[in-house]
Amino acid sequence: MADESPMPSESVTLPPDLRALAQSGCGVAVASCGPGGTPLLGLGAGCRIGVGGRVRVLLPRAPNLALLTALEGGAPVAVTFTATRDHCSFQIKARRARLCPACSDDLPEIDRQMALFQDGLVEIGYSRLQATGYCAHQRADLMALELIPERVFTQTPGPGAGTELGA
Amino acid sequence: MTGLCLDGLRPALEGVIASVLATCDATGTPNVSMISQVHYAGPERVALSYQFFNKTRRNIMETRRATVLVTDPETLAHYRLTLCYEDTHTEGPLFESMKAKLAGIASHHGVEDVFRLLGSDVFRVEDIEPMSGPVTAPPPNRPSLLAATRRVCAGLAGAEDLDGLFDALTGGLGAHLGIRWSMVLIAEPATGRLYTVATQGYPVTGVGAEVAPGEGVIGVAARENAPIRIGHMTRDYRYGAAMSDGARRSGLFCDVPRLIPFPGLAAPRSQIALPISECGEAVGVLFAESDEINRFGYEEEDALALVAAHLGARMALLRQEGAEAPDPPRAQLPAAQGQVTVRYFNADQSVFLDGDYLIKGVAGAILWRLLREHDARGRTEFTTRELRLDPGLRLPAQAENLDARLILLRKRLDERCACLKIEKAGRGRFRLLPGCRLILEEPDAVSAPH
Repeated sequence: MADESPMPSESVTLPPDLRALAQSGCGVAVASCGPGGTPLLGLGAGCRIGVGGRVRVLLPRAPNLALLTALEGGAPVAVTFTATRDHCSFQIKARRARLCPACSDDLPEIDRQMALFQDGLVEIGYSRLQATGYCAHQRADLMALELIPERVFTQTPGPGAGTELGA
Repeated sequence: MTGLCLDGLRPALEGVIASVLATCDATGTPNVSMISQVHYAGPERVALSYQFFNKTRRNIMETRRATVLVTDPETLAHYRLTLCYEDTHTEGPLFESMKAKLAGIASHHGVEDVFRLLGSDVFRVEDIEPMSGPVTAPPPNRPSLLAATRRVCAGLAGAEDLDGLFDALTGGLGAHLGIRWSMVLIAEPATGRLYTVATQGYPVTGVGAEVAPGEGVIGVAARENAPIRIGHMTRDYRYGAAMSDGARRSGLFCDVPRLIPFPGLAAPRSQIALPISECGEAVGVLFAESDEINRFGYEEEDALALVAAHLGARMALLRQEGAEAPDPPRAQLPAAQGQVTVRYFNADQSVFLDGDYLIKGVAGAILWRLLREHDARGRTEFTTRELRLDPGLRLPAQAENLDARLILLRKRLDERCACLKIEKAGRGRFRLLPGCRLILEEPDAVSAPH
């Protein structure tokens, strides 16, 4: 991980099970807010969580230009992680995120998570072609998005979705 | 706008690959979550399922804006749709269609109380943005669905009676649309229950099998008078399971005594049920299923809706045709030998042949009436008119589906008994053909006071 600067006082430490879920090869969705309050949305390729709790989301640059521009300009960020097999899900939010290039350390881990993600999609009924195509990305196009979670919400579908951890 | 039209994106709105929804609150804080349904609601609109009053819902009410990401399951192209909220439907065709889809899923998982649609949030699609990325080619040389639908409908036009119409339908679905498993169910007006009158592709015909209103995709389609389909049973199952770990996986259809087993696939991957309507009222259901994932999409739903509409019109036409058809040749039964005991239970109008269950309900009452007439007066020729006028049969006031009951009865007799048959004897007339001595018993009959 490139940066392990001190956590802000508002930060929330992710419990071990959520850290595991986020790095298990799950679906990663990233959102921010654009000009005029437009919701901006993109798909991540994977995630690494550092010892200090910093979350590093990898996502392709080309399909997410507007999202990355907003984040670069200091817009707030939300990231949801969803397990393929049982739809267990949680969301983290932060007032800002930092953009940086993907590094060589990222790639083996993202490859590992992508393989797990594809296996999970196949297990729940997708064809191998669908799973591979859904996860395809240009490695050279990956960017890293770093944030310290400030709020964490359970997101598993159902009436309990949206409950804030530690609230 | 990018020039893309929503009609061309319908495969991406099937829900095969989960959709993602982003909203922001009034202060600009984003929220991102999975969404159950992004429903095609016309060339310029989509509807999102509103199931819980959560953060997403609050944001939509605050800002009226949302962005949703959908994925085409064939080309794997991702699209971002910029949405502007217009209104929420809590009734009407759109709501019923989405509710029925959710209800079908819930019924399948036994989580009806959890999986409840509160509203269909309708959004105008302001922009469609294709996201870059690898895209696979769609399957080449795909057959024309419209041409196949036309051929199925043309096949229905040649049927001269209801029986032939159902056979032409299920046969045509197989031959022209590649649908191997299908069935037609007709509604009982008084109770709303549906009974199977024709099936195709199953090891046993299951004719006479019943479905209650609201039960499984068939019952929901009939109750809501809206097409419903589940295109990815595995995903839907797991989605339901995630909402209620304790949910039991209930069967699609109820299990009650004296029930003819439902002939459906043991492990379907896709199902679709379309109401057969007459004058806006569902009088039956056309059902098809498949062992393939996502076999029935928006296009197939449209095709089968056309077929079901055509079927309903042909059914009404056949019923209204008053001209007498020439008498068909009489079937030859083997010379009468042996005997069969026929028991009738008035409580549920069920009929047993030598202890084996045959049929119940109105069809059972009809058979019992015919047998008693035959026993008392030796009659073998009957008319549908006299059945309609017989108060003892407890036929509903509008017994439009009497012909369907007779088809059901005839098929059940053909399957279960070589010694008793019913055949058409011309339009509005039919013939009872006993092939052995029949002993009639009515164990729960109320004895006349001495």
